[in-house]
Amino acid sequence: MASPRKYYAVTAVIIFVVVSLIIFSLNFKSPEEISFFRRVALEAVVPLERAVDLVFSSVVGAWERYVLLVGLERKNRELKAEIASLGRDLSNYREISLDYARLRKLMNMKNDFKFPTVAARVVGRNRSSVFKTVLINKGTADGIKTGFPVMGTGGVAGRIMETSRNASKVLLLVDYNSNIDVIVQKNRCQGVLRGCGSSGCELRYVQRSEDVKTGDAVVSSGLAGVFPQGLLIGKVAIVEKGEAGLFQKITVHPAADITKLEEVLVILRGKEDNG
Amino acid sequence: MIYYLLLPVFSLLLLAIQVTVFDILFFGKTGLEMSLILVVYAGFYLSIIRGIALSFVLGFLLDCITGVVPGFFMLSYVLIFLISKGVSLKVYARGMVFTMGFMFVCVLFEKSLIILMYRGLYGINVFYDILNASLLQAVAAGVFAPAFFVLFHRLEVLFNVSEARSPDQL
Repeated sequence: MASPRKYYAVTAVIIFVVVSLIIFSLNFKSPEEISFFRRVALEAVVPLERAVDLVFSSVVGAWERYVLLVGLERKNRELKAEIASLGRDLSNYREISLDYARLRKLMNMKNDFKFPTVAARVVGRNRSSVFKTVLINKGTADGIKTGFPVMGTGGVAGRIMETSRNASKVLLLVDYNSNIDVIVQKNRCQGVLRGCGSSGCELRYVQRSEDVKTGDAVVSSGLAGVFPQGLLIGKVAIVEKGEAGLFQKITVHPAADITKLEEVLVILRGKEDNG
Repeated sequence: MIYYLLLPVFSLLLLAIQVTVFDILFFGKTGLEMSLILVVYAGFYLSIIRGIALSFVLGFLLDCITGVVPGFFMLSYVLIFLISKGVSLKVYARGMVFTMGFMFVCVLFEKSLIILMYRGLYGINVFYDILNASLLQAVAAGVFAPAFFVLFHRLEVLFNVSEARSPDQL
């Protein structure tokens, strides 16, 4: 006769599999709803990631400063310490300079918007994942809501996918789930920009007769109500008309460097502000 | 009981390390899905109830942190745990080479689920886009899996959450 423990195990398997299936399928029924538990997890992970990052950076720093120098001649040690110190200073100055340049660009962009914006720092990313998302350190406490556009240096980076009090998840425009209504700035032809993972984005539904060339700027159309009209999204990289078919195959490179996002601007505007 | 209390905290910490530290270590070129290694470890060494709870929580948290399709990682981790458990019951799954090979296959299986999901639900073909990255990740996971198995076992002992494993518990 099977032991009761075996029944517990079978019951647990059934429960967990069914619950997983229900949650997975609920996503297709109401994708906008974010559960309390998801919000809590999102909120908890940001300080934890910062703490891990801090500890890791300290350990690496300590290793570089002390451990590698053990066993060397005194003078050599002093000289290396001096070089290391100068290198650190230089690195710090470079970092400050780069921060300044990035923030100045962001501030310039901020002045261009008629909507209020919130600057946020990217605190977590998983570049190896097929899903292209990043975590930022601002949430509903700063007025951020689901669907708000997110700008990187240079152009649109994505939109807010989920948000908790002090953290938000950004769906980058290169993700396969990202679709943005756009127009080609030069000839105003309309299309839908869909993410294609690491290979950038694809501009779909542009008719073969339209004159689109490499280097043309692609901007948001403002039609879907998520992105304000005229935000720079990217530039046309490849245009293929092919032998047959109604539409052209157009590859677009995002204007914002998605792989190096450090600070972003969240535009505080909802669908109700459409225009 | 301490196992279930530590589970969410430990899982969250592990995922925070996975998302921050490994991104720096591998220069963003590839990733090491430590959470998936833990799921396979659970399949090999933990009881069904503990293992499936761990897989569920890890999948849920990964969905919250990096997932775009809620529930995907949860479902795939539970499936991979059940496969690992099934395999560990049928074959001797303690050898290093077997662990490495199985880990390699599990990463590819997970990526295949992603490809199937996109193909089936959204009609998007992401095969070529994730092929190279997946192979690299699968190799990385396979190479590091035995070391992580040792680490997870040490942690199990350290936090006193290991249990006597008898066939009756399965």
